[in-house]
Amino acid sequence: MPDVLGIWNDPGDVAEAVTRLRGRGYTDLETYSPAPFTEVDDAAIEKPSRVRLFTLIGGLTGVVTGYAMTIWMANDWQIMLGGKPFSSIPPYTIIAFELTILFGGLMTLIGLLVFGRLPSTKIDPAYSARFSAEEFGVRVRCRERDVAEVEALMRGHHAKEVSLVGA
Amino acid sequence: MTPPPAESVAAMIRPVPRAPDSKVNRDLLAVMEGASLGYWALLGLSVAFVGLAGGIWIYQVYKGLGIAGYIHPVFWGAYIVTFVFWVGIAHAGTLISAILFLFRAKWRNAINRSAEAMTVIAVLTAAQFLGIHVGRIWKSYFILPYPNQRGLWVNFKSPLLWDTFAITTYATTSIVFLYVGLIPDLAIARDRAVGWRKLLYSVLSLGWQGTSRQWKSHNRSVLHLSGLATPLVLSVHSVVSWDFAVSIVPGWHATIFAPYFVAGAIFSGFAMVLTMMIPVRRIYGLEGYITNYHFENMSRFILLTSIIVAYAYGAEYFMAWYSGVESEQTAFYRRAFGPYWISTWTMILCNGVFPQLLWFKKLRTNVPFLFVLSVLINIGMWFERYVIIITGLSSEYDPAAWGIYTPSWYELGIVAGSFAFFAHLFLIFLKIFPVVAIAEVKEIAIHERSHAHAGEH
Repeated sequence: MPDVLGIWNDPGDVAEAVTRLRGRGYTDLETYSPAPFTEVDDAAIEKPSRVRLFTLIGGLTGVVTGYAMTIWMANDWQIMLGGKPFSSIPPYTIIAFELTILFGGLMTLIGLLVFGRLPSTKIDPAYSARFSAEEFGVRVRCRERDVAEVEALMRGHHAKEVSLVGA
Repeated sequence: MTPPPAESVAAMIRPVPRAPDSKVNRDLLAVMEGASLGYWALLGLSVAFVGLAGGIWIYQVYKGLGIAGYIHPVFWGAYIVTFVFWVGIAHAGTLISAILFLFRAKWRNAINRSAEAMTVIAVLTAAQFLGIHVGRIWKSYFILPYPNQRGLWVNFKSPLLWDTFAITTYATTSIVFLYVGLIPDLAIARDRAVGWRKLLYSVLSLGWQGTSRQWKSHNRSVLHLSGLATPLVLSVHSVVSWDFAVSIVPGWHATIFAPYFVAGAIFSGFAMVLTMMIPVRRIYGLEGYITNYHFENMSRFILLTSIIVAYAYGAEYFMAWYSGVESEQTAFYRRAFGPYWISTWTMILCNGVFPQLLWFKKLRTNVPFLFVLSVLINIGMWFERYVIIITGLSSEYDPAAWGIYTPSWYELGIVAGSFAFFAHLFLIFLKIFPVVAIAEVKEIAIHERSHAHAGEH
């Protein structure tokens, strides 16, 4: 199936074009933006990223690990310090807090890699260095007979160029 | 996760954009290109000092900590002072990146990258002092809770352990934060680089293409990392302050220490960002990106934190007097009028008095003045830690056990080496990574362009 690539200068136009294209049933599409633009990203994918799940799991793992490690170690070889209880929660809270942040941060990075599908060894044939300059691209995969309609839709939303990828 | 085979990725990217490259890319990537004689001279000088300090350190490992100026009862000296100093410097980066991000202060975009880089470099610099200070470096792993044949565990009730966890977490999170922010910019560099740089950026940018899926995950990650880093940045220097406050040394045992240290850290961190970025902006012609507006905003932060720090100085003296505790009163009297009076008055002038000049807008926007002031603040903040640590230890409860510590030349050599270490890593960073967050600057530029365009219609 052919890939149609439209190029824009304005993120607002891209967002409108993507919404329209998806509304017309062209869901196999990809956008390329030089910077984060929520209007474009939300038009292409409505759901919020699930990175938050990873952060939550990381943070909870950290807090549990922090308390479990300190309490277990203090009781594994008991050393009496100034008559304080072996399981001394206030100081251990600091360790638990730090590990919450540490694990939460690392899991956030892993979440970014998983949901951003990184690292990727493949670069889309439609991608070019223009999209890391200041232009936006939308690549739509469609049937041969729909190419004309996709092109018309893109141009109708102010695409400055429309081409077939690989052509 | 295996990194992508860089050359195949690089080959897949159509290298020459048909439209001319954007001005933002050209301006900001130009910083990484070539290097002047001055750059090499500075780099050579700092590497030489790092080498010298490394030599001193090896000698110290061979001879023992006796070559430092330690004298009873002062066994925390210039190394711990410098450790606390560098941890403090590391605070501006995360403050700018995380807290200002959550407050949606867009002006941070021009300076966040360099500040984050300074954070990572400063934490790495600070962390070395833990190893330098312990003397028997080969036993420094004892601080980690690892399973061992003796069945012993570390003492989690000790602030030194809290510190280990806080610094490790801070270093790791700062590196993650810096790297996540860098990924889109590394892709920009990848698309334009040739040779070994293309290979490097292809591997590091992980095949980033700026798709919606990637940006959505990226935005979320930055938000969450900011949410995590905000309490972290406040906790790290609090924990460092507890290294002192949890003990019973007069002058240390105060509940004000955590906020006092955090404010001081932000104060010194912003000063260091100014010290480094004023010359960088000038040399690389980045006036269009890092404007006087940015410097003015930073100087407002400096003014605010200076007031907090000055208040803390006052509060310490007030509490010492008001408590009626003789050891506290003596400790603070000796701070101001005892053998360390020069350090104390340097600290008060540089951190509490000189920054008050920033009340005047004329001076807030006077870049040479800001540069001089930022250097003075750096000096003042090093002395603040010197005053707290050394004067505290030198005159504890029993006057018969008082002692006067003076840093030895070996210690001062290693302290100087730490500044060189910081400088040489920052110089290398300048040439390998984009020193301004390109994608974030572009986000604002494109928005402005769209609005201007919409206005025309």
